[in-house]
Amino acid sequence: MSFKRQRIRDPLHNLIEFPDDHFHHVMWQVIQTSQFQRLRRIKQLGFSDIVYPGATHSRFGHSLGVFHTARKLMNIVKGHLDRSHDYKDTDANTALAAALVHDLGHGPYSHAFEEVGKRLNLVMANHEKVTDLLIRDGEVSIALKPLGGGFASDVADVIKKAGPSNIYAAVVSSQFDADRLDYMQRDRLMTGTHHGVIDLDWLLSNLEVGKVPYGNDNEPVGEIETFVLGPKAIYAAEAYLLGLFQLYATVYFHKATRGAEKLFTELLAKIIHLVKNGSTHKTGLNENHPLIHFAIDPENLQSILAMDDSVISGAFSMMANAEDRLISDFSKRLRDRKLYKCTDIRECLSQKLEYTPLSKSTRRKNPKALSEHQGAAQSKHSSNDEKGRIEALDRASNNVEKRLMDFATEKQDEIPKILVDKAERSIYKLFEESKGPLNQIMMKLGAGDSKPVDVASISQVINAIAPFKAFRVYIEDSDKKTKATVENIIKEEATRCR
Amino acid sequence: MPVVNLNKTHAEMAADIIRDAGGEVVGRTRLQKMAYLLEITGLGADFSFEYRHYGPYSEQLANEITAACFWDMISEVEHTAVWGGSYSIFKALQSNPKGKIKPARKEIIDLAKDANPITLELAATAAFLAKEGDSDPWSETSRRKPEKAAKYLDDARNLYARLLKVKTPNPLPAI
Repeated sequence: MSFKRQRIRDPLHNLIEFPDDHFHHVMWQVIQTSQFQRLRRIKQLGFSDIVYPGATHSRFGHSLGVFHTARKLMNIVKGHLDRSHDYKDTDANTALAAALVHDLGHGPYSHAFEEVGKRLNLVMANHEKVTDLLIRDGEVSIALKPLGGGFASDVADVIKKAGPSNIYAAVVSSQFDADRLDYMQRDRLMTGTHHGVIDLDWLLSNLEVGKVPYGNDNEPVGEIETFVLGPKAIYAAEAYLLGLFQLYATVYFHKATRGAEKLFTELLAKIIHLVKNGSTHKTGLNENHPLIHFAIDPENLQSILAMDDSVISGAFSMMANAEDRLISDFSKRLRDRKLYKCTDIRECLSQKLEYTPLSKSTRRKNPKALSEHQGAAQSKHSSNDEKGRIEALDRASNNVEKRLMDFATEKQDEIPKILVDKAERSIYKLFEESKGPLNQIMMKLGAGDSKPVDVASISQVINAIAPFKAFRVYIEDSDKKTKATVENIIKEEATRCR
Repeated sequence: MPVVNLNKTHAEMAADIIRDAGGEVVGRTRLQKMAYLLEITGLGADFSFEYRHYGPYSEQLANEITAACFWDMISEVEHTAVWGGSYSIFKALQSNPKGKIKPARKEIIDLAKDANPITLELAATAAFLAKEGDSDPWSETSRRKPEKAAKYLDDARNLYARLLKVKTPNPLPAI
C-alpha cells in the first residue's frame, strides 16, 4: 500500500512534513478528525489577543508544532538507543502520537474554562480528562487503530503520565518536553514579545540521554533514562528558565488577560447557575445554544465538544441582551474590551514596604519626623534583609487577601464589586513531591560517563529565580468608593507588616 | 462533608495533619497520600486532589503546607535521600489547639505514617483509580507503576486491607 507525503507550512517551524509511511499516514488521518479540527477554533492563549493582537494562534498549530518538535527529540533518543539496539519504534510512535493529540480536550478559552470547572466541580471542564476520553474512544481512537488494537490506550497512558516513565515518555513530559519547547517559541513569535528567547538549536545539540536515579521520599526505586544536558549548555539552560519566567510575567499572567479571564469565569459560572435553576431565559441565550446544553448536561462529552472559542465569543452579543445584569454587563465588557481596572496589590505593597525618603517640605516643617523616620529606616535596613522583606510582603499579601474576601462577602451584589486574582508559579520546581527526573534538569559536568547533577546546584542564576507571584484586584472603573477602600486596606496592612 | 473546624484556615488544617501524626511526617509524598486517604474517608479538610506522577496530589495542600511553614506552624527541612534526590521532614512547631483527635483519623494517619512510602503511594493510587470508576484499580495501578508494583503491590494490598478496617465517616472503596 502506498501513502501520500503531506506538508504543512508553519510560522514557527516552516515546513512540517508527514513522509509517505504508514505511521505518518495514520497521524495525518488523526489530523483530519473533527475532534482535531476543532482545535483550529481554540486559541492557544485564550484572551491574550486583547493585549497582543497577534496572539490568535490556535491549539491546532501548536499541536502540529509539538509533534514536529517531538520528532526532533525522538531523534536524539534514537541516536542514543540505536547504539545498544534498544530503540523501539512502537514506543517512539506512541510518544509521538501522544505529542500530536495531547491538547484535544481543551474547552473554550482553555484555562479560563478550567477555572469555571474547578469552581463548579465540572469533570468535563478538565482538559486532561476529556483528552483521555477522546483518545481512548471515538474518532481519534478509530483513526489510531491501524497502528494496533491497544495503541490508542497506550497513547492516552503516556499523556496522563500513567505509563512507565521512560525516555520515550520524557519527550512528552519532562523539563525539556516538546510541548514547552513549542509553546515558548510559538507564543513569543505570535505575541511579538522579544522576551523569552531560547537557544533551541544549542539546547538540542547538547541534549543527551543519561541514567539518573529516582525514588519516593527516602526510598529508592531504581534508575531511569531521561534527557541530560551537556556541560556547554549551562547558559542556554539558564536562558531557557529565565525565558519562561519572563513569559509568565509578560504574557501568561498579563494583568489585562487575567482580568478578562476573571470576567469570563464569573460570566460562565452565572450562566450555568441560572440554567441549573431553571432560569435559562435570563441568560440571553437560545435554549439550543451549546453552552446551555453544556450547563444542562455537563457530564456529556458531546456537550463539551460542541463548544469552542468562536461559539462562546460569537454569543457575547446575545448575552449582552440578557435579563441578568451580570451576564449582560460582563459579556459586553468582554466583547468591547471594557475590562475592570487592575490594582496590582503585590506591587503596591512592595512599594510601600520599601524605605521611602521624606519629602523636603516634611523635613522642613517637622524635624522630629525626620529623626524618627531615619531611625525607622536604619532599623529596617539593619534587621530586614531581602528575605525579611519578601516575608513581610507575603504576610501583608495574605492579610490583604483575607480582608478583601471579607469585603467581597459583606458587599455581595448581583455584580461583584471586586474580582481577586492570586496565583503563583514555580518556574523551576526543584521538587513537588519526591525530586525526580521528571521535574529536574540534569546536567553532566564533564565528558564521558560523569554523573549528572541538578542544574540548580551549579547555577546561581537558576537558584535565584523566585516563583512568579501575582496578586491583583479588579474593580469597576467608576467605582471610586471600592477603589478607596481597597487602597486603604493595602496601606493599613503595609504599615502593620513593615 | 469533611470533618473540620470551619473557623480554621487551610494552612492550619494542613499543619494539623503533621500535628496529628505525632508532630512529624517524613516525606512529601507520604504527606500527600496521607492527606488523600483522610480526604476520601471524610476526615480531611476539603483539599482537592488530581492524578500526578506519584498518584493523588493536591496543589492546594502543597501551597497550604508552604503557608503553614511561613506562619511557623510547622517546619520543613530538606534532606538528601539515599538515592541521591531529596526528601523532606515536616515537624510541628505548635501542638494541636483542638487537643483531641478523632480515633479514625488517628488510625488512618498512623497506618500511613508507618507504611513504606512506595507501598502507600500504590495503595492511595488504587483508591484514587477506584474513586475515578476504574473497574480493576489494582491491575491499573500495576500497569501505571510497573517498577514499583513488581516489588510493593502485595504490601500495598495488605496496607489497604488494614485501612479498610478503620471505621471512617465515608468508607474507602472496597477493592
